[in-house]
Amino acid sequence: MSLVASLAAVLPGAELPAADDRWPWAAEPAMAVVHPSSTDEVAATVRWAAANGVGVAVVASGRRFRGTRPKGRPFLILATDRLVGTEIYEPADLTITAKVGSRVSAVSAELRAQRQWLPYDPPHLGDRTLGGLVATGESGPLWMGYGELRNHVLGATLVTGDGRVVRLGGRVVKNVAGFDMLKAVVGSRGTLGVLTSVCVRAFPIPLTDRLLVLRGESASVLLPIARAVGTAPLMPVSCVVMTPAPVFSAATALLVRLHGAEPTVEADQRTLEKHCGVSFERAEAGGPNASVPDHATDGAVVIEASVLPTRLPEALVAIRDTVGDTPLAIDTYRGALRASLGASAIGAVTRLTARIEALDGALSARSTVPGIDAEALGSRPSRAVTELTTRLESAFDPQGVLWPSRP
Amino acid sequence: MTRPAAGSHGSTGVSSRMTRSLDPAVVRALGSVVGLDHVITERDRLVVYESDGLTAYRVSPQAVVLPGSTDEVAAVVKILHGAGIPVVPRGAGTGLSGGALPTADGVVVGTARMNRILEIDPVNRLARVQPGVINARLTEATRPHGLYYAPDPSSQSTCTLGGNVAENSGGPHCLKYGVTTRYVTGVKVVIAGGEVIELGGAGRTAAAELDLVGLFVGSEGCFGIATEIEVRLLPLAEGVRTLLGIFETMEAAGHAVTEIIASGLVPAAVEIVDNATIRAVEASVYAGGYPVDAGAALVIEFDGTEAGLDAEADAAERCCMAAGAREVRRATEATQRAKLWNGRKKAFGAMGRIAPDLLVQDATVPRTRLPEVLARISEIGERYRLRVANVFHAGDGNLHPNILFDRNDPDELDRVERASKEIMKLCVDVGGTITGEHGVGVDKRGYMRLVHGPEELAAMAAVKAVFDPRGLFNPGKVLPDAEEAHA
Repeated sequence: MSLVASLAAVLPGAELPAADDRWPWAAEPAMAVVHPSSTDEVAATVRWAAANGVGVAVVASGRRFRGTRPKGRPFLILATDRLVGTEIYEPADLTITAKVGSRVSAVSAELRAQRQWLPYDPPHLGDRTLGGLVATGESGPLWMGYGELRNHVLGATLVTGDGRVVRLGGRVVKNVAGFDMLKAVVGSRGTLGVLTSVCVRAFPIPLTDRLLVLRGESASVLLPIARAVGTAPLMPVSCVVMTPAPVFSAATALLVRLHGAEPTVEADQRTLEKHCGVSFERAEAGGPNASVPDHATDGAVVIEASVLPTRLPEALVAIRDTVGDTPLAIDTYRGALRASLGASAIGAVTRLTARIEALDGALSARSTVPGIDAEALGSRPSRAVTELTTRLESAFDPQGVLWPSRP
Repeated sequence: MTRPAAGSHGSTGVSSRMTRSLDPAVVRALGSVVGLDHVITERDRLVVYESDGLTAYRVSPQAVVLPGSTDEVAAVVKILHGAGIPVVPRGAGTGLSGGALPTADGVVVGTARMNRILEIDPVNRLARVQPGVINARLTEATRPHGLYYAPDPSSQSTCTLGGNVAENSGGPHCLKYGVTTRYVTGVKVVIAGGEVIELGGAGRTAAAELDLVGLFVGSEGCFGIATEIEVRLLPLAEGVRTLLGIFETMEAAGHAVTEIIASGLVPAAVEIVDNATIRAVEASVYAGGYPVDAGAALVIEFDGTEAGLDAEADAAERCCMAAGAREVRRATEATQRAKLWNGRKKAFGAMGRIAPDLLVQDATVPRTRLPEVLARISEIGERYRLRVANVFHAGDGNLHPNILFDRNDPDELDRVERASKEIMKLCVDVGGTITGEHGVGVDKRGYMRLVHGPEELAAMAAVKAVFDPRGLFNPGKVLPDAEEAHA
């Protein structure tokens, strides 16, 4: 029996061979696209793949998938588009469990009806699936006020690389019953298993959501003020410098977001202005604010650099020196800079990585353009961390079925 | 107590009082690293290390070693693992699940001498500490900078940050601020064989790496020993409001908790104490001014910008009254607030007045199930003719039903075991879990099969083997032996 026929026997709904080109990152065509609708079907697919030496590339929205090439062996695409829907939502418990293919926008709409929300703002959040969000582990600048996404993922169902179904965590906000494997899975980009459902913590929608804007000539001018925001005796929920900032009619803008009851937010703004020695303007809620998270994400290569916040000015100089004047989004509390680069700048990324590492920071790079393997240009983990990671991946995926392009 | 045997690792039935001397050559080697003054082998001095805060388990270790630096920890672990000797990490020994319980064939590696705050970076709001630093001391040291360390376990005046990392400790204010894992940005760790590795780091958030820091936090000493910890600090709140809601019944207080959370308020803490606890506390030196005729009391706290606090406190008061509160009081002075919190945080100690022994249980349930679960715990206590006192983190649904007993009464001891198991099963059946913040240790590993199936337990064992292939770090903790499963 051929591989294709063998897979068809396991999953009658599989597209054999892959019927479209929605996944341009793959240098070679997939042998099939499967659309499982349950955890059992995902497990059957992965077990079949493991038994037949076939790689499995999990694709949610496809937006953030690593642009790397499978290494000369057949692989299938496991799409999560039929794993959709809410499984359990208890508004009074502030938790929601949904299948991973559910769009974040759909989950958010369900929460909004109960005056709740997910306080994350990574790029393109609305387009993402819940599983994709958890697999990348990106929180966005709102982590400043709410903590990282990894702290709000309470539970998950995971199919490992050998087809075992492992239920991680639970549905309660405090849980230390065993090793916290969930932490390693959040942000692991599918290397430890295929997520099929996740439980996340929801939050009450803040009574007031105020965006404060300060315009400036350049990021280097606004960074000292952003540092002052970071040392103020209060906690804004996010603090970002974006450049350019045409949506705010400025070369550069410092954006500070405050949440809380109206009197609290009013007092916080006054405190902040006094502490920083500036006057902020207020932007309309739901207006320009909506575009901030997606800033500097449209280049052929997107790099994310991180340093301690006090070293941001040096990191900024390093970026300007190596890749020139490029769109930037700077999460000033975290010390993270995102830059979008044209394909011609790819040669400079290695030099930039070295400059950032010299500041005790790290850099990661990604590309959605076929043929650009940007990931290899970023910071490498230490030898010890690499060894632990390899052993951990082997524990969850002994045959290397998942992420078939893995070196 | 009739607890699972916790003797030699990897097997049961070995006497916990087994005495077998450590090879003198190993003692000399350890002494050459840390100094013989810091290698304890005398039987009478080892008594101190026989248990942690869960005193029902007692095992005398072969020795206790107290290294003073990362290099010394690494050298000690290398010597011990080289000789095939298990290592049991220990902080202040305040844990309540037996996580620092020695093994009879093992050596305890204590972090008491590694108690220095290495760096406070107020601009980046970070601190780097050694594992033996006491939790409350870090906040004392950072307060002059307008900063503090948020996780505040009830034992914060004595527990160490290394222990907090091992247990992923919580505390009353974790309702708003989250538990230890949210604040640990990096760790230096000694793993199997004495290898030193650095995980994470606040400046390296962009690194495309697995979250090994998150995986390490809460690993209960089973993966290695943290020797340096980098933590995030928060700005001190400008103001605080502390309320005391007084209720006729626990059920009404439970409903008030649900009302407060569902209303969209974000209190810093919501703690509940029942009548038995109130009576114990008020009769002790920790008296907090709780009315002794109340069925239950809620301690509710808001913090943050001064301007909004009164409105939040008013809203919480309305929730309490709607749920049937008899009265809601406000602490108007810092001393009143401190007294209320002292009563809450020292409640476990106060219970020593009313029974010789106390089993501090720890479980989490979905908040909405609190009233039902509290009623059923009460029923279980009555059915087994046991006194159960409740004091816990109601806002998180993190229960601490405390069973009062006398270990010298075998029949009562048996009833404690059976009631405890029934309470754990109840919490799991309503969608909860067997521990919210105390950890599994030896105490809960028999309950692990209530919440985890074979695949989950196998995965946990595999993850432990990644860090500790020979199983020499804190053996006999967290993972159940098949024959010890309660389920």
